[in-house]
Amino acid sequence: MKYHELSLRLFLLAATPLLTDCSTQAARTALKPTAEAAATKGKAAEKAGTLKDDELDEYATAPDISDPLEKMNRGTFWVNNQLYTFILRPISKGYTLLLPRPVRKGIDNAFENVKYPVRFVNCTLQGKFKRAGQETGKFVVNTVGGVGGIFRPAESIPTLANLPEEDTAQTFAKWGIPNGPYLVLPMLGPSSLRDTVGLAGDYALNPINWPYLYWFGSRSKHDWVIVPPLSNTLRSTPAQMENYDSITKDAVDPYISARSAYSQNRAEAEKK
Amino acid sequence: MTLRYLFPLLLAAAPLAASAQVAEAQTRLKTAVTEVLAVADRTANRGALPERLRPVLQKYVNFDTMTKRAVGPGWRQFTPAQQQAASKLFSTLIIRSYSGKFTPGEHPDITYKPAVSLGSDRVDVPTSMVYKGSHYTVVYRMEQMHITDVVIEGVSLVANYRSQLDAQFKKGGANGVISSLTQSVSRPQ
Repeated sequence: MKYHELSLRLFLLAATPLLTDCSTQAARTALKPTAEAAATKGKAAEKAGTLKDDELDEYATAPDISDPLEKMNRGTFWVNNQLYTFILRPISKGYTLLLPRPVRKGIDNAFENVKYPVRFVNCTLQGKFKRAGQETGKFVVNTVGGVGGIFRPAESIPTLANLPEEDTAQTFAKWGIPNGPYLVLPMLGPSSLRDTVGLAGDYALNPINWPYLYWFGSRSKHDWVIVPPLSNTLRSTPAQMENYDSITKDAVDPYISARSAYSQNRAEAEKK
Repeated sequence: MTLRYLFPLLLAAAPLAASAQVAEAQTRLKTAVTEVLAVADRTANRGALPERLRPVLQKYVNFDTMTKRAVGPGWRQFTPAQQQAASKLFSTLIIRSYSGKFTPGEHPDITYKPAVSLGSDRVDVPTSMVYKGSHYTVVYRMEQMHITDVVIEGVSLVANYRSQLDAQFKKGGANGVISSLTQSVSRPQ
């Protein structure tokens, strides 16, 4: 019995860094492209007026991210699919069954609100000072007026509504760092070398992980530190599963579909 | 002399024509969305939804152009019969996939943003949608008043399928594409 408890605990501890933020990442995952994609699209749009060969035409030319590690990535993709099917999807179903949507939405809002430093720091690093100010305004309005961010009154203020997501990987892109090879991460799903480093940045900037990071070496004395990151993972699982399903369900090749969606979605995010 | 006066008029007329086209595209898209939502609302049996939506979608979506572009350069090596088969399978896949997005009792809240003319009868209609509490940016690409692509959060439906179908074409030619589409269509939901 003790052995099982210990194994479970070790597994949870080991998986925590991977699990946290996984939803948001996978959400993006499901949906991301590269600067090259944007450029090619631009060129394609220019051509659009003259090109007669419909099948060669235009928009649909968003290039894939380079994937020299495809064999390994496909393996990880398969493992992830099993993990999603047998672990994450049942967890997600249980969670959505237990909590009604407004409650889940409130929890999501609060966790997103706490992520404010991720957005603020990255806006600043990208020189988007006005956006950084808007993010601060949004954070203050939602924290004070929205009971710690459970509600989002800022969404009814036009200048603060619908601000695009900002993260560390987008900052790297803005600085001109290329994607590097495409990587499928265990549990988290599609990423690139650059975006994986970005993910670590996001993790460190998210206050929800700070207690865990602070007590990393002596966490046995502070077992509770695992609760915030795990809750973050749990609350974001339904969205992650939904995104994964929408990308892979009707795909001809789910692996390529996820890769293409990831690279396109990221390129779009970088533009905003 | 007359021409000198006519010239600025002609210049002024060009953007006017474009803006008329833009407005028309937006109106048409709104009509399409309203019709689709009405059908979805009336259809209690979710299993029947794809077949109920098919005629509406076929009216507003150009599936042939969509298929052609989703296949990409390989399309020219398809025989007319293969093209027809691919188009039929692809439209079935897209209609089924689209129908699966509807949850009974849920209504998207759509805001239509100013449409953008790209020339040659092409118009992008950006929209912002709130569905089931989540916010999405969706751009409808229209040509000659028909939808030819949908871009959700930066992900083009056609580009996404092209990356998959092009790989299938390189592996197995036209028959490879058709058999992969057949497999996807026959996959149980």
